[in-house]
Amino acid sequence: MNLRNSSLFRYAGAYIFLIALSAFVLFPLVITVSQSFMTNQEVNRWPPKIIPTEPTLEGYHAVLTQQDVRLDMWLRNSLFAAAGYTAAVLVICAPAAYAFARLRFPGNKVLFAFLLVTIMIPGQVTLIPNYLLMRDLSWIDTFNALIFPGAANVFGVFLLRQFFMQVPQELEEAAILDGAGYFGRFWHVILPLSTNALTALGIFVFLGHYNDLFWPIIVTSSLETRTLPVGLSIIQSSYAGQYRPMILAGAVLSTVPILIVYVIFQRRIIQGVTLTGMGGR
Amino acid sequence: MFGIIKQKLPGPKRFTLPFSLSLKTREVIAAYIFLAPFLIFFSIFFVRATISSVNISFYDWRLLRPTRPYVGLDNYVDLFEDEIWWASVGHTVYFTAITVVGTTLVGLAAAVAVTRPVRGQGFFRVLLYIPQLMSVGAIGLIWNWLLSGQFGVINYILSFVGVRPINWLGEPDLVLPALSLATIWWTFGFPMLIFIAGLQGIPEQLYEAAKIDGASGWQSFVYITLPLLRPTILFVTVTGVIGHFQVFGQPYIISGGGGPGRASWTVIIYLYQQAWVAFRMGYGAAVAVAIAIIMAVITAVQFVTISRRVEY
Repeated sequence: MNLRNSSLFRYAGAYIFLIALSAFVLFPLVITVSQSFMTNQEVNRWPPKIIPTEPTLEGYHAVLTQQDVRLDMWLRNSLFAAAGYTAAVLVICAPAAYAFARLRFPGNKVLFAFLLVTIMIPGQVTLIPNYLLMRDLSWIDTFNALIFPGAANVFGVFLLRQFFMQVPQELEEAAILDGAGYFGRFWHVILPLSTNALTALGIFVFLGHYNDLFWPIIVTSSLETRTLPVGLSIIQSSYAGQYRPMILAGAVLSTVPILIVYVIFQRRIIQGVTLTGMGGR
Repeated sequence: MFGIIKQKLPGPKRFTLPFSLSLKTREVIAAYIFLAPFLIFFSIFFVRATISSVNISFYDWRLLRPTRPYVGLDNYVDLFEDEIWWASVGHTVYFTAITVVGTTLVGLAAAVAVTRPVRGQGFFRVLLYIPQLMSVGAIGLIWNWLLSGQFGVINYILSFVGVRPINWLGEPDLVLPALSLATIWWTFGFPMLIFIAGLQGIPEQLYEAAKIDGASGWQSFVYITLPLLRPTILFVTVTGVIGHFQVFGQPYIISGGGGPGRASWTVIIYLYQQAWVAFRMGYGAAVAVAIAIIMAVITAVQFVTISRRVEY
């Protein structure tokens, strides 16, 4: 074998860098998983131990049974709210995107330009008035507060409009000849041909909501209605000094559902990032 | 088969109405029906809220007090004179600068390495994007522990090169770089994927031509890759600045609500403290408006620089 031409040799630098970077990425995760199986005494030790001498499920047991830690409930809340939010975004934004992409109506351009400008205004300005509105509506501690305030996602409209415009006009014309109305064209022509964009948007909207911290902190207040990120921050502040393995177990358990989603949709997520420009922070 | 088509031909009878609407009118009505749900939600939760925020900022509006006196610009004057606010702005700018530079460099390096014709490209890409998917809750718990001054593994690694244990989250000067390190680990995956797409858009022939002319790998990176990646770099830095300027979860969880003292208070922590710890809604609204203005200015400056630079 000619060493000079083998890719292993030619790209040794790239390999070394990628392996080092992978180690940097994996290291915190491996430590967390490993130490989550330790006892409290073993975790609080210098020099730190990397591998548990006697793996134990104490931490996991504690995080699932502790009186003021409701991980199962928080997970359920997070999944339910994120799913509801994703559905709301798609149901609200897709028809609007279709109108902007394909229908002629007075104000189309002006309205769209207005939306473009509003993207420059960061969402923080809306926090206080929306929070006060949630109080007035008695929506604090309800799923409504987690689902509806952010449902008119301007970015989602932009994105879907972009994709709907790429659907060949002829297909819609064919549907018109078959007697399809506006809704029929939207439902039977546009949507089925835009599944890639719809799933990508759906996945990132879901993940973004599942991982959100600020809004759930202010619109939930009882232990039973918290979402997972808020719950984790509560465990951190009340147990950090006392019971570290439990905290690490909480971090592991809260990440597992995301990793399952990632394994299933891995290709779609990776492609979706470049397709949509979403998936960052 | 022809029979079926003939049967369909008579056309859409179901649209017969007692009065007739022109096609144009029908399209307009349809458009507004399609837009209605979005416009309703958008008006309530964005347009109304934004206007209301400006309005509230002119009042001394406290959640637990029945009277809300009009105070004009007093909230803004107070904000302008508050040293803690300016310190928070400083922390945020510092954190954003090092985090954006860090994520951009690591993301670019990872993208370049992963687009070499190496084995396991797909594997590395998937692996390196994992942290980006995690919630700030989970990464907060993980990095609070890794950075622990007493038992933290970061200090353990450093001890092998002779560094004494450092209290990362307890030292006012070190807490922001420490949070930034955690954030770079968490968020370099997005720039990486964007850079990979950018790199794949550069025609291979350019590199071949450069090679024939005797250019080294580094030279073709500097004279081909970087100039052609400029739009991508700008996209990554603009979205990075906007995203990281709004940092909240990392100081809230990793450094215990912005500690030590107020050393890691960011502008959003400041907003949270004013509006939801001190319940000063009017002052909080002024803070939110100020944050919006700062971010709009930063974004505008970036866009101007972009359009200038791209013109050559």
